[in-house]
Amino acid sequence: MKPFQVALPSTIDQASKLQLKDASPFMAAGTDLLVRIKDYVTVPDMIIDLKRIDGINGITSDDRGVWLGALTRMHDVAVSEKIQQGYPALAETIRNAATPQIRNMATIGGNICQQPRCWYLRHEGYSCAKNGGSGCWARDGENEFHAIFGNKVCAVVQPSNAAPVLVAYGAVIEVQGSDGKREIPAGEFFVTPEQDPRKDVDLTSGELVTRILLPAENRTTRWGYSEAREKQSFDWALASVTVLLDRGGRAGEHRVVLGAVSPVPLRRKDLEKILAGGAVDGDRISSLKKKVGEGATPLSGNGYKVQMLQGLIGKAVRQASGQKEG
Amino acid sequence: MAMNPESGLPDEQREKVSRRTFIKGASAVAAVGVVQIPGAAAGIDKAGVEPDILGPGPVSIRLRVNRSDLDVEAPPSTTLLDLLRDHHGLTGTKRVCDRGSCGACTVLIDGRVVDSCSMLAIDAIGSEITTIEGIGTPENLSDLQQAFIETDALQCGFCTPGMVVSCTALLEQNPSPDRDQIRQGIAGNICRCGTYQNVIEAVEYASRKGGK
Repeated sequence: MKPFQVALPSTIDQASKLQLKDASPFMAAGTDLLVRIKDYVTVPDMIIDLKRIDGINGITSDDRGVWLGALTRMHDVAVSEKIQQGYPALAETIRNAATPQIRNMATIGGNICQQPRCWYLRHEGYSCAKNGGSGCWARDGENEFHAIFGNKVCAVVQPSNAAPVLVAYGAVIEVQGSDGKREIPAGEFFVTPEQDPRKDVDLTSGELVTRILLPAENRTTRWGYSEAREKQSFDWALASVTVLLDRGGRAGEHRVVLGAVSPVPLRRKDLEKILAGGAVDGDRISSLKKKVGEGATPLSGNGYKVQMLQGLIGKAVRQASGQKEG
Repeated sequence: MAMNPESGLPDEQREKVSRRTFIKGASAVAAVGVVQIPGAAAGIDKAGVEPDILGPGPVSIRLRVNRSDLDVEAPPSTTLLDLLRDHHGLTGTKRVCDRGSCGACTVLIDGRVVDSCSMLAIDAIGSEITTIEGIGTPENLSDLQQAFIETDALQCGFCTPGMVVSCTALLEQNPSPDRDQIRQGIAGNICRCGTYQNVIEAVEYASRKGGK
């Protein structure tokens, strides 16, 4: 690892100005950034360590809902009573993410801003659409963990387990730079390669995630989350399905969001419509299974994700509707 | 001549010096002339308009490790793991993947397990750090370490310090974990010999004895 400077801003404004000056990367916990530096994927002269900034750590609530400070550790989100009671799918996905060590270190803000885990993107020897070159090595290369939806320009998958769940709950991402604050719906925060292959999330230079709002009106008790991995500990999802039924207690307002199958969390309104059609029974689950792979453009090595989604959606919907595992 | 990017030494020269001698020698040099800059490394000068910018050269870092204050001069880009091993000689904490994937470098920060390879040492300033050396010594093993011996919970032994640290934290939080909870507790520690079953038995053994 090439030695670098470490800037220790104590305010968001200081952090923002430092990044505007010379585009140095922000570091929250560093569990993602330090790995990229060690692998010479990123070779910064300076990093901006955000941990000494006040006011963006911890969980609070007000009449708008529950606010997660960006520096809140994943473990603390997962064990929070406010989250377990109001937004249980979020607690569930984080409880199983990564390892105890990583959950004690990694922050929720860093989690949603981490770089995708594409092995070409994270190899110093490859240039692609996402890191300033052109094309996508995974499309004709090794792609078993890559995207099956929206993968024409770049086939990365969004790596955060929490991201699809945040989209399902209609979370709001609060970001701040030296020009002030913005609030971005989680569903628009993640940027598709078609919009801009260089970006993972909707942050401009100098902007950082400060808080995440889980809206009070979207507290939901009928939820399902299912995920498949190669191994049970320390692995990323191969595919995940988040289902919220009657979100916020509003009959017929359902959410279905797929994770790890496209460059951004994939909300599926067509599947939500099927759920809205009536009681969750065998026929409805069959329709969901038939429909979930629609629009997929699998690559040479990841067609299995379509079948995987068919299994996962049944599981998540049954969990959400309180039925026994079939 | 091939230069090693990390040590800045030519590879040929580097091979002649044993790694251990080189590191011990380097720490001895660094120990001379330690200058404490109060607050600078900790970034506590909140009143300042300009943020602290450290490095890339060595800065004074004071860490609280195993209930003692340890002072060292090291670049701010040094990971906690490298600082513990290379500057403090606490080589019980192992450097294996160096990517937060294997858990061999597990230490406790304020009682919580972390991968010391995946954080900067300066971010541990002000915290209570416990390494395997702080859990027990060969003369005075912890109950859990004794349980590892009784249940034969190690083969090559390289993952063992990390395993012991993780299991110690687990028993601290949950003195009688069931097998599932133990599996979750060691989910971040990889044993390439595959001794997981005996590690689980060691935790159960220590738990039955009411020890940690």
